[in-house]
Amino acid sequence: MSDAPAEAPGTDAEAGSDPDPDSTPNAGPLGSRSNRELIAWAAIGTLAALLLGGAAFPNTILGVLADVITDKDTLSAALRLSVPIAFAALGGIFSEKSGVINIGLEGLLIISAFTAIYVTDVTGGIWIGFGGGVVASTLLALLFAVVTIEFRADQIIAGLAVWLIALGLAPFASQVIYNGPNTPTVGTTGSIYVPVLAEIPFFGALFSASPSVYMLFVAVAASWYVFERTAFGRWIRASGENPKALDTAGVNVSRVRYVGILVSGVLAGMGGSALSLDLGQFTGNGPTMVNGKGFIAIVAYLFGNYNPIGAFLATMLFAGLDAIQTVLQLQGIGLPRQLIRIIPFVVVIVVLALVGRTRLPEAAGDHYESGEE
Amino acid sequence: MDRRAFVKATGVAGIAGLAGCSGGPSDGSGDTATESPTESDDSDDGGEETTAAETTESGPAANVGMVYATGGLGDGSFNDQAQSGVIQAEEDFGIEYNEAQPDEVAQFSTFQQQFAQSSDPNYDLVCCIGFLQLDSLTENAESYPDQDFMIVDEVVDAPNVASYTFMEHEGSYLAGLMGSLLTTQEFSAGAGSTVPDSAALGFVGGVESGLIQRFQAGFEAGAAAGNGDTEVLTNYTGSFNDPAAGREAASAMYNDGADIVFHAAGNTGTGVFQAAQEAGRFAIGVDRAQSITRDSYADVILGSMIKRVDTPVYGAIESKVNGEFPGGEALSLGLDEDGVDLVYGDSIGSDVPEAVADEVATAREDIVNGDISVPMSPE
Repeated sequence: MSDAPAEAPGTDAEAGSDPDPDSTPNAGPLGSRSNRELIAWAAIGTLAALLLGGAAFPNTILGVLADVITDKDTLSAALRLSVPIAFAALGGIFSEKSGVINIGLEGLLIISAFTAIYVTDVTGGIWIGFGGGVVASTLLALLFAVVTIEFRADQIIAGLAVWLIALGLAPFASQVIYNGPNTPTVGTTGSIYVPVLAEIPFFGALFSASPSVYMLFVAVAASWYVFERTAFGRWIRASGENPKALDTAGVNVSRVRYVGILVSGVLAGMGGSALSLDLGQFTGNGPTMVNGKGFIAIVAYLFGNYNPIGAFLATMLFAGLDAIQTVLQLQGIGLPRQLIRIIPFVVVIVVLALVGRTRLPEAAGDHYESGEE
Repeated sequence: MDRRAFVKATGVAGIAGLAGCSGGPSDGSGDTATESPTESDDSDDGGEETTAAETTESGPAANVGMVYATGGLGDGSFNDQAQSGVIQAEEDFGIEYNEAQPDEVAQFSTFQQQFAQSSDPNYDLVCCIGFLQLDSLTENAESYPDQDFMIVDEVVDAPNVASYTFMEHEGSYLAGLMGSLLTTQEFSAGAGSTVPDSAALGFVGGVESGLIQRFQAGFEAGAAAGNGDTEVLTNYTGSFNDPAAGREAASAMYNDGADIVFHAAGNTGTGVFQAAQEAGRFAIGVDRAQSITRDSYADVILGSMIKRVDTPVYGAIESKVNGEFPGGEALSLGLDEDGVDLVYGDSIGSDVPEAVADEVATAREDIVNGDISVPMSPE
């Protein structure tokens, strides 16, 4: 993680620390295109071929697949599954773009998922619980920020600590409060149903979803707007790419990074609260109900190249595949269930292997102190 | 750099400390299980006093160590049921017990050994709940020949292990029969109703294994017996602790026309109930009367295929206290032995038509009498 910044300032990280990271994939006949673009087109092409094939041969595997993919229920399942991952991914973007690699997203999800249920259970208000989850996650993110910025701790180690603290703390608190790692069930957020629009064949799913899905749409759009259109977004980017320049321009780098991490805490907290409140229960055994979603979020924003919309689409790819495998298990297409179940993970690994290197913000992972030199 | 090194060191120490304490066994009366190896050395004469102080003058009738399955306590089904057995034994026989809730399969062996090695208290019996403990117990039973163990859901062939299995397929048969009789008719109760023109049921399993397949096999056989045209949709989520996955699996089944979904997936089943409520259909619980343990979903839970995990736990402790521990034996508990049964939902079970309930009761008799034989593995 700290290899890129070791290069002289101004070196393009893409050709930076590794001898020539892009040479292998680019050596092919399609070398002029970026890998990411290529994969996006390949995915769209495969999808189109699938749908056409399905329409042509409705009674084959292709037909079943096309049916499943175009099903409204698949889309709504994909949206539900993507909420916690996409929120965490957005949070990760804010933090990492500002120059602090936050691998503690998983921990932020865990702590907020538990706190949301606990506060809801105590106060009886679902949205109060939602807020409680966000506050808990933000506080943990604040701890992370203080340790990494104030005390200059290694970001990776501190991020791991955040995860481990939450992984131990949430089930422990549940054990103390509820005598077991699983909480009792509380009310759920329910869903918002737009009368006429929800009847539209495929996209109707967009109009009959839980409030957290709409909040996610707003968060994606707002994040994109912040990065592309506001001065604060430029500060965040500068803080991660060239903190010295930002400092020279008279902006306090530490403050920008604090805000970046806190925003990541807020967003991840929304994801965690939405995850547990959607089901009304927190289950805390083993990897807890979060079960690696925070780490998938990291993959998602790397695959989305730090773009909020890209990260959201990457999340939808994974969540969509997950939704599809669930339905495929019921269809009896001749494949063993165990194989169907691992489809999303296989695809993510393949995609990551093909995308290869993502360009990290120049100063990510590096501590910055004003007037150091 | 000094400060940086210090912070790093603190971080590493903190992580190590956390990792250490998050895995320890949890118990009601202090950390005896973890501290015992050191304590027992220097407190040879003090040991009896501490034990005596904790209990009545005579000391406990037996010390029991519980190693639960990975779902953890509070799952509203399997582990809670096992715990109720030991709590009952505590009331009836005055035993003492300690509990360990492993997070993952790798920890089973550690906890079993901790209980087996402990000499303060010296555990008379270690209860291993769940089939995933088979491998570690097979090893540990050999390493600790003087320690008595009991295991639920698997058979370990060792003279110091009493094995208890259930005939889940028998109870699941009744669940399938009830489901298939209801799915073909117009039926509504509580928050759910059936779709009369489709004859489909669903089965959501946890980790695909011989054990869970027994549930599936019995459910499918019962469904076929009730109505030959009934389709049973099957999904394994791959986890006993992923309610989100259970919800998606069950939602997909309801969308495909399933009226009633039966789950054998521990905590994952919470998601199944959630999906049933959203779809306005029905679900069948497992292991415990889940319309009571998960009462917020009582309006969609038609019934539960209960598996009395407390029976073998209680029975093993009772026989241990009476000095007739059935070490080396493998006992199988079915409908006849009261090990499994189908109980109707607390709030909507009474709405099940009498004709259906009668047919289920008849099938129950037939299974007990041996007139119906239920397959143990799905076709």
